[in-house]
Amino acid sequence: MIGKEKLFKKLEGVLGRSKADQTEIVYLGSESGLTRYANSHIHQNVFEDNHTMIFRSVVGKQVGVASTNSLVTSDLHKTLADSLEIARKQPENPGFPGLPGPATYQEINTFDEATAKATPKDRAKIVKKIVGVAGRKKFTVAGSCATSRSEIAILNSLGVRAYQPTTAASVLMIPMSETSSGYASGTGRRFSDLDVDGMVARSVMKCDLAQNPKEMKPGDYEVILEPPAVAEMLEWLNYVSFGSKPFIQNMSFLSGNIGKSVTSDQISIYDNALDEKGVAFPFDFEGVPKKKVFFVQKGVAKGVVYDRATGLKAGKKSTGHAVTANNSDDGAFATNICMAPGKVSRDKMVSNMKRGILVTRFHYLNGLIDPRNSVLTGMTRDGTFYVEDGEIKYGLKNLRFTDSAMRALKTVIGISREREQIESWWSSVGCMTVPAIHLGSFKFTGKTG
Amino acid sequence: MRDKLKECIKLLKAKGVDYADCRFVRRENEALRVSDGHVDSLSRTLDVGVGIRVLSKGSWGFASTANVTAGDLKKTANLAVQIARASAMTAHEPVVLAEQEPFVASYQTPFKKDPFEVSSETKIDLLMQSVEVLRANAKIKTAEGGMRFFKTKKHFVSTEGADIEQDLLESGGGYHAVAFDGKEAQRRSYPNSFGGDFCTKGYEFIESMDFLDNAERVREEAVALLKASPCPDTNTTIIITGPQMALQVHESCGHPIELDRVLGTEISLAGGSFMTVDKLNKLKYGSDIVNINADATTPGGLGTFGYDDEGVKAQRTPIIKKRKFVGYMTSRETAPIIGKKSNGTMRADGWNRVPIIRMTNVNLEPGTWELDDLIADTKQGILFDLNKSWSIDDLRLNFQFGVEAAWEIKNGVLGRMYKNATYTGITPEFWNSCDAICNRNHWRVWGVPNCGKGEPMQSAHVAHGVAPARFRNVKVGVSK
Repeated sequence: MIGKEKLFKKLEGVLGRSKADQTEIVYLGSESGLTRYANSHIHQNVFEDNHTMIFRSVVGKQVGVASTNSLVTSDLHKTLADSLEIARKQPENPGFPGLPGPATYQEINTFDEATAKATPKDRAKIVKKIVGVAGRKKFTVAGSCATSRSEIAILNSLGVRAYQPTTAASVLMIPMSETSSGYASGTGRRFSDLDVDGMVARSVMKCDLAQNPKEMKPGDYEVILEPPAVAEMLEWLNYVSFGSKPFIQNMSFLSGNIGKSVTSDQISIYDNALDEKGVAFPFDFEGVPKKKVFFVQKGVAKGVVYDRATGLKAGKKSTGHAVTANNSDDGAFATNICMAPGKVSRDKMVSNMKRGILVTRFHYLNGLIDPRNSVLTGMTRDGTFYVEDGEIKYGLKNLRFTDSAMRALKTVIGISREREQIESWWSSVGCMTVPAIHLGSFKFTGKTG
Repeated sequence: MRDKLKECIKLLKAKGVDYADCRFVRRENEALRVSDGHVDSLSRTLDVGVGIRVLSKGSWGFASTANVTAGDLKKTANLAVQIARASAMTAHEPVVLAEQEPFVASYQTPFKKDPFEVSSETKIDLLMQSVEVLRANAKIKTAEGGMRFFKTKKHFVSTEGADIEQDLLESGGGYHAVAFDGKEAQRRSYPNSFGGDFCTKGYEFIESMDFLDNAERVREEAVALLKASPCPDTNTTIIITGPQMALQVHESCGHPIELDRVLGTEISLAGGSFMTVDKLNKLKYGSDIVNINADATTPGGLGTFGYDDEGVKAQRTPIIKKRKFVGYMTSRETAPIIGKKSNGTMRADGWNRVPIIRMTNVNLEPGTWELDDLIADTKQGILFDLNKSWSIDDLRLNFQFGVEAAWEIKNGVLGRMYKNATYTGITPEFWNSCDAICNRNHWRVWGVPNCGKGEPMQSAHVAHGVAPARFRNVKVGVSK
């Protein structure tokens, strides 16, 4: 960790040398450790100390981007010059809106001293605990435990000065018997907030319950999707529909549907990076403050997230969801997807089910079959159960589903009041915060073996 | 850099580690994207650092740093030892590495034109012209093209005396058009979906891809898809073209033969494999004509290199031989478990990632058919072209793929077009139903530049040499 003052001093020295009309520097630095275990022992244990500086130079409407991970001053000067040279060599981009000006950001505490100081030994202790509990049931266990500390800074020649130090921690576990597996995971800004005891108890119980699974014929069933399963579905919907680019290109299920009913009125899906209960973060990678954005509110399609360039194209303002300039081909991206909680407890949700399937999580989802109709496919994994008369009866062999998310989300029976934080593809700046959902209809189209 | 790396090795030897290696990687990347008549992005990235892997008292530790001063490397080496000690806190059998000759060698990707020496104007011009042709129909609402180039320098040294330098060069690109008629949106790509095709060659690869000659066809097929019928829900004969065959091999053969995955070490992310060790030399994987090799020496393949990231020489390994499952992709740690030496498939996605088993060029060997003859020989069926969606279970058994476009085959002739077409199956049953593979005239190595595996996530560059092939009695048309 370099620290705000020292980092700004170094980067402002470089920014001051720019000969471009506008210049932006994004700094991403992190020290991260990840302990991975399988067959009940640690088999990979890694640490990375890295920092990337991304320079964006603007001459009129010409834009050039270059990046380096060397902090040596001469390398920074060279990379800045490279970005200017790239800008000057290309035609003008009429769709470039210019860099943003200074802004005020919500103060959010995203750093935890203890998590920042977590050691490989601290992570190994957690793994040892998980292995011990699973071992008492004679289950092997696989998973990972990660901690990191990072700094993100955005500076530009128009006065943007954004800085945020962060920490993150996550743990994941998959206990396994000869015939079954269970699952639990957690993520947050503070290592100490992770309820490892609760997670290991829950995942071991699932593995136990799922032993000697039976086959279920594919078909249309009532389902309870637990939070990891809901998160995996929303992560794909985010990728194919909640960003500005698929929306503008008419590939999103929200395209042409704004203001229309697309799901049950019990469903609200939104991005909220400002909620400190989640993995919060105050600004995007252009230095624009984050805003809460509804994709679906009480069943009605509302909108998508924008950066400045795609916002200009769509006649909208940036919602604070830009990614870094060297990774911006796919437009703005939501990093803190949430589904609003309901009123039912998760236990009550099971007891409300007459006959159906409980899905712990999915494996290898894909949402590109027919994104305008929000068609998803994927396999169940690590705990699929048959429920009858309000009780979990037995484990099921894994099933493939293929269904339209919009169609399935029109059949909501209940949404849990409890929500879980699930690690996402963007773990340093966000996570998914989701409940369990009870649907009246969900189409399973295949099975394993 | 050699002196600094060797100092680290000296330090680690003095600490009495079982084994250690230090790997310097310097990777340059250039990426261009042209969209709807303007340059969307043009960027260059430089990424440099050192990864240090230590085996101490039978346990692994890995530490990496972007700060490559002698002092930072020493600190990182010490940290790797501490991490290995923490790994020993969970009891396990000590790691034993297969014997390996410590090579002192170098390797360079053969190429004709260094893409980093070709002007950005030349590259932009080719993409702009292609996109212009794609946009020449009012129904095309988006047309985009891109190129990416990678130049990687690696220097590997180990406590066993290995000292290997490699200079790798990769090039690739492609384009796509999205047609929209107010209700339906459909995408068509060239030469492959998701960014095009990639290989270990220079800019001559871009020039060989005939971007301009194919743009009109791609445009018209995207527009035609708007009026295409949905793929029928039935069981039928299918013919799969090259790029989709590459992904079929990738997901249903390439991943299941990674021995680390088979042994359970990828469970926490990507799952396991049905091709367990007890099935080696016993499992009938496909029909008699199915022969698959993992070949890190295939000329131009995106999975081609000189030495892997454990210093093992690139090689060709039979995987499926006349339908029988005969081999895995292995590492120095996993190979002894099946009584073998490593066949050189350990690669890391940069200096900051630990090497894991990755596909090289996993190739389906060509058969005997001309594609036209194969279509003419098919009474009823569907031809599937270019991947659109992919999904497979955590043992690599139940898969479902969607494609950009499909065509009905009726009495040996291609007929109407289908949109949103999918096919699904169970891996061994599916490969057992393969009754024809096209010949070497149709065989091409397709690069896959985004193969995800590992935690933290690693994206590998791999490839598959394939030709179009025919499969019988396949379930198609499951779309919602």
